[in-house]
Amino acid sequence: MMRSVRLFFAKPATIVAFAVFVAIVVIALAAPLLFARGPFTIVGMPLLPPGAPGLLAGSDVLGRDMAVGLAYGARISLLVGIASSIGAVGIGILFGAVAGYYGGLVDELLMRVTEFFQIIPSFVLLMVLVAFLQPSLGATVIGIALVSWPQVARVVRGEFLSLKAREFVQAARTLGMRDSRIILTQILPNALPPILVVGSMMVGSAILTESALSFLGLGDPNLLSWGSMIGGSRSAMWVAWWTTVLPGLAIMATVLSLNFISDRLNDALNPRRQR
Amino acid sequence: MNRLQYIGKRLVMTALVTLAVVLLSFLMIRMAPGDAATVMAGQAGYADETFMKNLRAEYGLDQPLRVQLWKYLSAVAQGDLGTSYVRRQPVLSVILERLPNTLMLDAFALAVAIAGGIWLGSIAARRPGSAGDGAVTTLSMLFYAIPQFWLGMMVMLVFAVWLNWLPPFGIETMGADYTGLARAGDVALHMILPGLTLALYYMASYARLTRIAMIEVAEQEFVKTARAKGITERQVARRHILRNALIPLVTYAGLQASILVGGSVLVENVFSWPGVGTLAYEAVIGRDNPLLLGIFIVTSILVSLFNLATDIAYSLVDPRVELG
Amino acid sequence: MLVSIQGLTAALPPGADRPLAIEDLSLDIAHNEIVCIVGESGSGKSMTAHAVMGLLPRGVGVTGGRILFDGVDLLQEPPEAMRKRRGREIAMIFQDPMAALNPVVVIGRQVTEQIRAHRAISEREALQQAVDLLGQVGLKDPAALLGAYPHQLSGGQRQRVMIAMALSLSPRLLIADEPTTALDVTTQAQILKLIKKIQAQRQMSVLFITHDFGVVADMADRVAVMRLGQVVENGTVAQILDRPAHPYTLALIAAVPKGASAPLDPAEGTPLLEVRGLSKTFRRGGLFSSRGAVTAVDDVSLTLNRGETLGIVGESGSGKSTLARCVIRLLEPDSGAVLLDGTDVAKMKSGRLRPLRRRIQMVFQDPYSSLNPRQRIGDIITAGPRAYGEDTAAALARATEILRLVGLNPEILDRFPHEFSGGQRQRIGLARALMLQPDVLIADEPVSALDVTVQAQVLKLLDEVRRTMNLAMLFITHDMRVAAEVCHRVMVMRNGKVVESGPTHALFSAPASGYTKSLLAAIPGRGRL
Repeated sequence: MMRSVRLFFAKPATIVAFAVFVAIVVIALAAPLLFARGPFTIVGMPLLPPGAPGLLAGSDVLGRDMAVGLAYGARISLLVGIASSIGAVGIGILFGAVAGYYGGLVDELLMRVTEFFQIIPSFVLLMVLVAFLQPSLGATVIGIALVSWPQVARVVRGEFLSLKAREFVQAARTLGMRDSRIILTQILPNALPPILVVGSMMVGSAILTESALSFLGLGDPNLLSWGSMIGGSRSAMWVAWWTTVLPGLAIMATVLSLNFISDRLNDALNPRRQR
Repeated sequence: MNRLQYIGKRLVMTALVTLAVVLLSFLMIRMAPGDAATVMAGQAGYADETFMKNLRAEYGLDQPLRVQLWKYLSAVAQGDLGTSYVRRQPVLSVILERLPNTLMLDAFALAVAIAGGIWLGSIAARRPGSAGDGAVTTLSMLFYAIPQFWLGMMVMLVFAVWLNWLPPFGIETMGADYTGLARAGDVALHMILPGLTLALYYMASYARLTRIAMIEVAEQEFVKTARAKGITERQVARRHILRNALIPLVTYAGLQASILVGGSVLVENVFSWPGVGTLAYEAVIGRDNPLLLGIFIVTSILVSLFNLATDIAYSLVDPRVELG
Repeated sequence: MLVSIQGLTAALPPGADRPLAIEDLSLDIAHNEIVCIVGESGSGKSMTAHAVMGLLPRGVGVTGGRILFDGVDLLQEPPEAMRKRRGREIAMIFQDPMAALNPVVVIGRQVTEQIRAHRAISEREALQQAVDLLGQVGLKDPAALLGAYPHQLSGGQRQRVMIAMALSLSPRLLIADEPTTALDVTTQAQILKLIKKIQAQRQMSVLFITHDFGVVADMADRVAVMRLGQVVENGTVAQILDRPAHPYTLALIAAVPKGASAPLDPAEGTPLLEVRGLSKTFRRGGLFSSRGAVTAVDDVSLTLNRGETLGIVGESGSGKSTLARCVIRLLEPDSGAVLLDGTDVAKMKSGRLRPLRRRIQMVFQDPYSSLNPRQRIGDIITAGPRAYGEDTAAALARATEILRLVGLNPEILDRFPHEFSGGQRQRIGLARALMLQPDVLIADEPVSALDVTVQAQVLKLLDEVRRTMNLAMLFITHDMRVAAEVCHRVMVMRNGKVVESGPTHALFSAPASGYTKSLLAAIPGRGRL
């Protein structure tokens, strides 16, 4: 465990990524304390550039403080990213574990379902889901979880298939352990590192997906997110670059730091790299 | 099991996927708050009881679920995907009119992504840990983290607005009335920015995958055999490492296609490319559910056909594949 | 001298278990001579071979010495010159021919690639030569093989293809790195014979790497014994086998199972375990297809008494492991009965089976995969008792006792598996099985992943444990020599069927079936060790 932690922080880039991510989390948590008036309050003239008095990041098309919007947007991005990834990992583990452990017809059936969700264009399905459920935070989270779980399921199934064949799992069966105990105490702990890596990668891609949905106007209309900030400023892009550039950079910084972290997580948890 | 049987089996799978997509669509319609009648009544602007009742009767909404499902299935089977609320035309013909533009853009993007990704990935894999590897890895991580629609906007801002090198919008110059080759050239010029924007993300993932696959293959015994034969390093890399590393990438192209359609929706939108993606956006804005579902059904079928093609290609490039 | 290695030293990357892979190694290979390097895993024997070939793995660097090939120092050769020597003057064959052949290229192309790397001839001419070569290594219908992929061939055929490839440019030195370790014993005998024949025909030199003194006895003109990167002893085969000077050589030779010490107390009485007409067929395929069926175990019967060891011997694919897994119900048998003290457990529902499971326990083959890497030794060996509701403290108390029995220090309870060697892990695996105080112990190739000296210790331990705990033991092995060491009776299996069975001594001295005879004849170094 200590070894993994040390390996994780072995590269300076990881420390930077980790610091960026922690900063974003802190901003997201502190947003209501720092800006109690909320992101929708109009504070001045529209399209004031960054650095205008009292406006660190300028104002948007409606004269709202961009800095407040960016801080509140972090809440939505992180919330959606983490909640939908947890959902996807949950469904994925369930499907993958059952398919991989029991094999045979059950496996065949579950894998066909997984394949189906992988083949159909997931973003279009997501648009359909959210449009039909009516755009809301809940619909976004559920929708993203529903289209992202197959990836987890495949990884989990692969791990379970190979671990199931390992002799220590067979030994557990000959010792008379129950299936549920074998899955929970023998297989799952060993399958956890790759699941953790896929899960952390997924947070990043879920944030991207959320921003795309909001950009298209399919986000929760009562919440301001980075994607909807960009979508709402499209017409102003030519005259006020900051209205689109800043939220985009915010998304990029968040996702990039997350991906760096999961990449290092992969290296640190990969037993093949540990001698 | 011979190849024909295998292909037959994959065809059955494709048909099942299609059926499942249609069933899912029907489920969506049933799940949506309010039925089609409410929506249409809303659009008509008034809704008294008899009007609603007549509407329901007209569209068969008062019949049992079973009957409705059957009607829906047989309509879809005959190519009847309903009528677009906004355009007042059959959904299928609206989609088919836009489809060639999307196919053109996506094919261009996929080709650029695969070729560029494999090239970059093999450069990176040649010396893991080198500066070239670092550059490719960092770049692919960067493009992984950029929202595609935003990348499109930035690219447009730089290359079309500030530098004025390439046209920012649409598929061809409005009012220019080019014909023949001139028109093709004009379209190609318009395709560069959206096409590259779309390609970059997938190129990044191809580069990453090629790199991993090649590094993994390079560790295998037969690569040592190849070196022991005394062939040149170049031949080792091309004939033995790349040849084997490409196999998983074929399957991956199939999976990519489904993600590509999503990217296409966003990028077409940013560049006002008159394809199915922009149509999907119009459908969302106009609450045009039949059109949105139609797009879902048509793109799903296309993507699963593309997957069928990659499955067959896979069975051709990997002799070990047990055709099952 | 064709090859003269002088003071060769190569460093391992930092963080390895020792600083040097090869330490001040000197070795000569004369023209027309077979030199064997023999050693246990990690001795540096394979590294030495790769150094001569100029193919040391990344991170391993030569830090001193010379490798003279016909008077030229290979270590000073520029890479391009070394590449031109590889395959033409020095050729190499590897341990696992399946991994050593490119899976997506047809055999013909793989052979011609080597020829055309060094000779300017057309593909057609090269293919003609390939057909000749494949014929020379005893492959039937070589023309048809040209279009085949490696996975369509058997293990023996693949290694023959590798040999054909290696011979294609008439090299002066052939390096064979454990070329028969991945093969069945009868195939091994054929391949060894082939290498020996070709060496004599072509008068070439061979550097043969092996861990098996039997193979050394069959093949070598001269022998170098390696240990931890150094040559501890070097001499003619007669010197090394008959008058070993170094204690390590002595210990290695002593540890080779000779198949002469079979225990002689065939127990009497009613059988504890009886298998009647057991069959198991594997069906392959999925929801939409069936791709044929393989009958892995075909109508097998056996009996096993308390205090007795029954060996089940067979080559890969004989069904011996499937049989064992059916008996212990890791697999569901299709038909037949498994009577434990008269109770049929073959078809028993898992709820009723659970209390009976503890009476049959198993020791597995691979010491590296048989212990959960994330659990402490204490958790691993008390898992069985705890699954039956035994109190953890009581189980731990008994664990101390059992660990002593298998020759381990009881203080290891809170350590993790990766801290132990292969032999120690096998002892831990045995302790886990013994914790449930079973009546029957199934040992599935328990020593085949171990070095020969460790192998001997574990075999001895198994026999002791069987005696002290009065166990009935089912001993699965591919190695006739090992079977003869510990088994009262032996049953030979082939293609899922029992070929013959009987008391070990009788079966070894007067085998009834031709197959058993060929298995015995194929034992390397037979009569020499």
